[in-house]
Amino acid sequence: MDTAFKGEHLLPGQLGQFFTILAFGSALFAAISYYFAATNPADTSWKRLGRIGTFTNAFSVIGIGACLFYIILNHLFEYYYAWQHSSRALPMHYIISSFWDGQEGSFWLWNFWQGILSCILVWRAKSWESPVLAVVSLSQAVLATMLIGVDFFGARIGSSPFILLREAIDLKAQAPIFATNPDLYHSYLTYIKDGNGMNPLLQNYWMVIHPPTLFLGFASMVVPFAYAIAGLWQKRYKEWVNAAIPYGLFAMMILGTGIIMGAFWAYESLSFGGFWAWDPVENASIIPWLILVGAVHVMIVYKNTGHSYITSTILVLASFILVLYASFLTRSGILGETSVHSFTDAGLFWHLVFDVVLFLLIAVVMLVIRWKELPKTTKDEETYSREFWMFVGAIFLCLSCFHLVVVSSIPVWNAIFGTKLAPPSDPVKHYNIVQASFAVVVTLLTGFTQFLKYKKTDSAKFFISTLVYLVVAVLITLPVIFITGANKLQFVFILIMVGAIYAILANGKVLVDAFKGKFKLAGSAVAHIGFGFIMVGALISAGTSKVISENNTGEIYSKEFVAAKNNPKENIILYKNTPVKMGKYSVTYVGDSISAPNHYFKVNYKHVDASGKIIEEFTLKPNAQANAKMGLIASPDTKHYLFSDLYTHVTYSNAITMNEGEQADGHGEADDDKKYDAPVPYEVAVGDTIHFREGYAILAGLGKVDKLQDIQLEPKDVAIGATLQVVANGKTYSAEPIYMIRGNNAFDFARKVEDAGVKFRFSQVLPKKGKIEISVYQQPESAKKWIVMRAIQFPDINFLWAGTIIMVIGILLSIFRRNKELKTT
Amino acid sequence: MKKSSIFGLVVIAIAIAVIVSVYSNSSTYGSFKDAEKTTSELHVVGHLNKNKQLTYDATKDANYFSFYMTDNKGEECKVVFTGSKPQDFERSEQIVLTGQMAGNEFHASKILMKCPSKYTQDKVEITEAKATKQASI
Repeated sequence: MDTAFKGEHLLPGQLGQFFTILAFGSALFAAISYYFAATNPADTSWKRLGRIGTFTNAFSVIGIGACLFYIILNHLFEYYYAWQHSSRALPMHYIISSFWDGQEGSFWLWNFWQGILSCILVWRAKSWESPVLAVVSLSQAVLATMLIGVDFFGARIGSSPFILLREAIDLKAQAPIFATNPDLYHSYLTYIKDGNGMNPLLQNYWMVIHPPTLFLGFASMVVPFAYAIAGLWQKRYKEWVNAAIPYGLFAMMILGTGIIMGAFWAYESLSFGGFWAWDPVENASIIPWLILVGAVHVMIVYKNTGHSYITSTILVLASFILVLYASFLTRSGILGETSVHSFTDAGLFWHLVFDVVLFLLIAVVMLVIRWKELPKTTKDEETYSREFWMFVGAIFLCLSCFHLVVVSSIPVWNAIFGTKLAPPSDPVKHYNIVQASFAVVVTLLTGFTQFLKYKKTDSAKFFISTLVYLVVAVLITLPVIFITGANKLQFVFILIMVGAIYAILANGKVLVDAFKGKFKLAGSAVAHIGFGFIMVGALISAGTSKVISENNTGEIYSKEFVAAKNNPKENIILYKNTPVKMGKYSVTYVGDSISAPNHYFKVNYKHVDASGKIIEEFTLKPNAQANAKMGLIASPDTKHYLFSDLYTHVTYSNAITMNEGEQADGHGEADDDKKYDAPVPYEVAVGDTIHFREGYAILAGLGKVDKLQDIQLEPKDVAIGATLQVVANGKTYSAEPIYMIRGNNAFDFARKVEDAGVKFRFSQVLPKKGKIEISVYQQPESAKKWIVMRAIQFPDINFLWAGTIIMVIGILLSIFRRNKELKTT
Repeated sequence: MKKSSIFGLVVIAIAIAVIVSVYSNSSTYGSFKDAEKTTSELHVVGHLNKNKQLTYDATKDANYFSFYMTDNKGEECKVVFTGSKPQDFERSEQIVLTGQMAGNEFHASKILMKCPSKYTQDKVEITEAKATKQASI
C-alpha cells in the first residue's frame, strides 16, 4: 500500500507520529512516577523514573518539531500540514513561522515550552520537584493528546500534524480524473506542485517572534498553578507562595510582552486601524494575564503580611484554568461569528472542554479537601495598610477580567442556554467604557498604595502626601489633555489620565527613594511607571487618533444619510499623480513598485508652508498582495515620529491585478490598444508640440537608431526614432517611438509613458510635407490608476511601546529581587 | 460588619452591574424582517446574492458600497455600507452585518465576512504536468 504512491516520503511522518505517541506516553509516565515520588518521598527510585520520563518527553517533543520542520523545509507536500501552511516561494524565516501557522504547530509550541520548563524545574525546584512536576507533566500529557491524532473507539483523539494530504482530503472527489484513472492517482504527487502558502497577512516578521513569546507566556503559567496544587497537596501551605512568585512574575512579563507584540503587529501591518480592537481572540490572551497580575500582587501581600492566602491560591489556580479556557475559546471554533481571526474547529471541541474541566476539577477538589486547614487570618486588615489596598486592586483586576470573560463568552452562553444574544453592536465603545472604569480604580490604587506601608500607616501623613501628589497629577493632566485634545473625550477617560499620571508620579517618588538606598523597591516602581505610560499612550493615541483622509465628495449619499449617521467618510480616492489635500499634507499617489509577491503603492506626502516651501516630504509604501489563493490582502505603512504616527492603508485599487508577479510580457499589441481611447494622429515637425489631457509632448528631434530593444536589426533595415519630451503633471519624461523599414514593409514600435497614461506611435513618415505622423493614445479617465486609501494620525503612541519596555524591565528587576530573597531565606 | 464583608458586597454589586450592562448592551441576531420592526442595531447573518448587482465605484464615491444579501430566513434586502468594499467580498460564504434598516435599505455599520477558504482552504489545485516532467520519484 505504502509503495503504491509514487514520490511520497513516509519516513519523517512515521518518525514524527512515533514521537507524538512517545511524547504522550513519556509525559503520562512522568506524571505517574512523580505522583508516587511525591506520596512516597522515601523511595527515590520513583523520582528517578519521573526524571527519565520528563527528559524523554522533552526529547520527543523536540523530535516532533524536527520531523515537522524537515517536512516543511523540504516542501514535502504529501503532508497536509506542509501543503496547507507553506509553499515553495516562502523565504526561510516564514518557513519557520509557517510551522506555527496552524493549530497543531501552535500546540507543539506550547508543548515545547512546557517541556523546556519541566527540565528547568527538574533542575531548580529542589524539594518541590516531585509534586510540581507531577502537575506539569499531567498538563504536558494532556497537551500531547492534542497532537496524537489516533483513532480511539471510532473517535479521533487530537489532530496530528503528520497526516498525509491524501488522508486529509478526498483527492478523488476533488479531481475526478483520479477516481477514474488509478495510475494517475498513484502518482498524484507529481500534480501537487506547490502548497497553499501562508496568509500574506501573517507574512510579517512579527509572525516569527510573536507566537513563540505568547506561547512561552501561556506555558509558563502552569508553573505557579503547579506550585499552588503542590502546596495544597503536600500541606506546605505557606511555603509554595514564595517559591512561585518568581515564576508568576516571569509568566506575567512574557505573556504581557507577547500581548503587546500582538498589538504592535496589528498596528503595524494589519488593517484594523489601531493597536487593539477588543476582538475575542485578543481578549482571550489578556484574560489570564489580568488574573495573573492580580494573583502576583496578592501573593506578595501574603508573603509580607500573612493576609490574603486564600485569594492568592484561588487567583493562581484561576489564572491557569483561564489559559485553558482561552485556548478553548480560540481553538474550538465556538467564536465563529464573533471573531475575525479565531481558528476553525479542528475536531477538538470536546477535547478542549475536557482539558478545562479536568484542571478545574483538580483545582476545586484540592481546595475543598484542604479548605479547613488553610491558613486564614481572623484579624481584619487595617484600612490604612498597603495589603488592604493591594488586595482591593487585585480584586478590581479580577472584575475587569470578569467583564471580558462575560462578553467574549457570549457565544458560549448561547450554546449553553440556547439564547441568541449577539455581542454589543458597538463592541469597542462598550469595552472601552466599562474597562476604563476599572482602569481608573486600578491606576489610582497603583498610585496611592505606594504611600502606604504594610501593616499600619500613619493616616495623617498618608493623606497629606497622597493629596499633594494627586493635586500635582491633576495639574499635569490639564495641559496634557488640552494640548493633545484628549479633553474632548468622555470624563472617565480623563480620570484614567489623572490616575495614570498619578501612578507615574507616586512610583517615581518610590524610584527616587530606591536610588537613595532602598534599591529592592526599584523593580515594582519601574514596572508601575511603565504601566502608567502604557495607559497614557493607549489613551491619547486611541482617543485622539484622527482620520485625515476625510472625504466629503460622495455623490450617491443623500445629505440626510450622512447627517444622521454622522459618519466621517474615511476613504479617499487618489488618482495617480493628482495631489489631494489631506490635513496639512498634500498627498499624491506617485506610482507602484512591484517586488513579487508584494505590490507597493508609493504615496508621497508633502507638507508645504504658505510660501510654497516644502517643509517635509516623505513617501509611504503601503502594500498589497494579490494572492491567487487568498485574494487581495493589504498591509498598511506608517510614518513614525517621536510624538505621532501617520498610518496609511490602501483599501482598494485598480492598479493591482491577480497574479501580476507571473504575468507574461507578451501581450498582443492590439490587446494593449483596447486599454486606450481611439488614437489621434498629429502631423508634426521637429520643435512642434502635441497637447494631450495630462500635459504635452515636444518633438525634440529625429534620428537614425542603431539598436532596438524589440527586435534584432539587420544591416539593410532603416530605423528612425522620434525623440519626444513629454511633460505631464509637472514632470518630464522622454519617449522614443520607432519607425522601421525592412524590405518593402514598414513597422513601428510604440512607446508608453505609464505615469502620464499615454502611448505614442510613430505611425508615418510624410517626406513631402517634411513632417512625421505621431499617433497619441490616451488612457480614458476611468482606466487611470487610482487607489482608495485611509490615513490616520495616531498621536503619542510611542508612550505605549516605551511603557511596555519600561514595564518589562521593572518586572525583570522584581524577578531578580524575589529570586535573591528565595535564596537567602 | 467586617470591612472585608462590606468590600465583598461592593464587589458583588459591581459584578451584577457588569452583567446587567453587558446584557443591556448586547445586541441580537435577527433577520431583515426583525430589523424592520426595530430601531436599534442588530446583527443579521446571511449570504451574498451573487446574481444581483454589487455596487462599488471608487471613482464616484470611495465610501459607498452596496449589495444584496439574503438572510438566513431567505429574505433579500439591499445593504448599504459606508466604506470601501472589503477585499474579496465576492468570495465570502457567510456575512454577518451589524446595522439597522433605513427605509428599504439596510445600513450596515460593520461587515464581518467569513471566507472559510481563506484559512482552511481544502481545494487542491491540480496543475497539469506534462509526461516528460514526471521524473521525480
